[in-house]
Amino acid sequence: MGTVVARLVRAEWTKLFSTRVWIWLLIGACVLSGAFAALFTAFAGNPDSGLPPLDSPEYGQLAFSLATNATVISVVLGIIGITQEYRHRTATPTFLATPQRGRVVIAKLLAYALVAILYAVVVCAVTVAVVLIAGNARGGAPELGGDNLEVLAFAGLALVIYTVIGVGLGALLKNQVGAIVATLIYLFVVEPLLRSIPATSGAYKWLPGGALEAMTATFEGPDLLEQWQGALLLLGYGLVAALLGTLLAVRRDVV
Amino acid sequence: MNGLTKTFGKVRAVDDLSFTVEPGQVTGFLGPNGAGKTTTLRMALGLITPDTGTTTFNGVGYPGLPEPMRQVGAVLETAFHPARSGRDHLRVYCRATGLPVGRADEVLGLVGLGTAGRRRAGGYSLGMRQRLGLATALLGDPAVLVLDEPANGLDPEGIQWLRGFLRHLAHDQGRTVLVSSHLLSEVEQTADRVVIVGAGKLVRQGTLAELRSGSAGSVLVRSPQSTALADLLRADGTTVAPTDATPDGLTVTGLSTDEIGRRAFAGGIELHELRSRTSGLEEVYFRLTAGSEQYAAVHAEQGAV
Repeated sequence: MGTVVARLVRAEWTKLFSTRVWIWLLIGACVLSGAFAALFTAFAGNPDSGLPPLDSPEYGQLAFSLATNATVISVVLGIIGITQEYRHRTATPTFLATPQRGRVVIAKLLAYALVAILYAVVVCAVTVAVVLIAGNARGGAPELGGDNLEVLAFAGLALVIYTVIGVGLGALLKNQVGAIVATLIYLFVVEPLLRSIPATSGAYKWLPGGALEAMTATFEGPDLLEQWQGALLLLGYGLVAALLGTLLAVRRDVV
Repeated sequence: MNGLTKTFGKVRAVDDLSFTVEPGQVTGFLGPNGAGKTTTLRMALGLITPDTGTTTFNGVGYPGLPEPMRQVGAVLETAFHPARSGRDHLRVYCRATGLPVGRADEVLGLVGLGTAGRRRAGGYSLGMRQRLGLATALLGDPAVLVLDEPANGLDPEGIQWLRGFLRHLAHDQGRTVLVSSHLLSEVEQTADRVVIVGAGKLVRQGTLAELRSGSAGSVLVRSPQSTALADLLRADGTTVAPTDATPDGLTVTGLSTDEIGRRAFAGGIELHELRSRTSGLEEVYFRLTAGSEQYAAVHAEQGAV
């Protein structure tokens, strides 16, 4: 089974890298995190922006955590990875080649998690580069070490986990456009609302967004979990989505 | 295939269907649109879970086959990512099934797509897509081929090519070929045997010759002395039945028009009409499946409007 999954992982990579989606998503992820890094660095210490000054330790951690802005791209990468099979009806030849559909989903999870590591490295590198260049231009970039580095590592981990969540969501929802729209609405409307409404803000820390914020946030925001708890919770979401998605993909008829 | 049944909502798409497909032959799987052909094939290949029944390939169900693509090749629909080249599409399945990626180029040549393989599949014509589908099925050099409406969208030249190719695969290479179609004419020149379904049920199966003989030798005779003629013809055990259409008509099975005419002349019986009713294969097929379309009623209503 190990070798079978290994070759299915390679098949997934062939699928991913034989169209151009991956490069556009990677560019999008870099632009998103890089733009936030540039913007925040430009306004660091500005009293109107509410951002900590450029030379403060808080700013260093905040700046490097901006890589997490690309989590939306990560989740879309995962969603596309599985829903394109249904959208272009290639699920049929895929499941004909591998009737053990659970193996296909496991291979997708592995393949996309590994690709996500690559994405995370590139996105983190871009974020760091922008912060260092823009910071030095303003006379003092945060140093790349200690707590700052830890935040960066957690941001990268979050990018990988969001991709895994995306694969699980894709397997659950099947419909590519529907899954992406639903995810965007959740990330940009539902979660921010839950976070800001006092009645629900207590539950926010248990949501993926809350977990993500716990992993990387340095500000005094809402009540959050510990960093490692956040990472575990987010990983839990990823695994649950993947498990549910796998179970459904295995049982559903491919018509 | 043994006792396959599948119900979608209230529609029983496939109803207790059983048949066997033999190696070295092209078997046509015929039925009108909506007769359950695609559902049957998808159940056979483990894509749809049947309510009851099983399908086996040499005694093993599809999901239980080790390396199924190397034993059974299937073309169910033209499913490709439009931005991926045909060659990359094939390479994906080479990797998934553990074949060397060079096999992709081999099968591209086999189906006559050689140079087009590097172009995006989204730009392919319908005929090229069918060929790429066939190439995907042939990747694993399988002993069994299952093709769902492979002639759809092919131009006459493509259909000619496909017929020859399928015959070659079955007769020269000894593979088992099952090819579905809603048009008899498509499989008439290719298939050795046919399995005909209507409304999810098996209607008829057998060789094309058997199918033809089922209707051959039926002759209509009209005579004012029909009773006397019937007695005369029945003397040697020939089957004679009254015809519904005309009161003085008889349907005679198993005798030629010449023979009936000779006997009537010898018996001094006057004939008003004597003609062969042997119908073409197409007519046989149409009669066997008449009214069994899933949406027959809808068509009739639309016709009335």
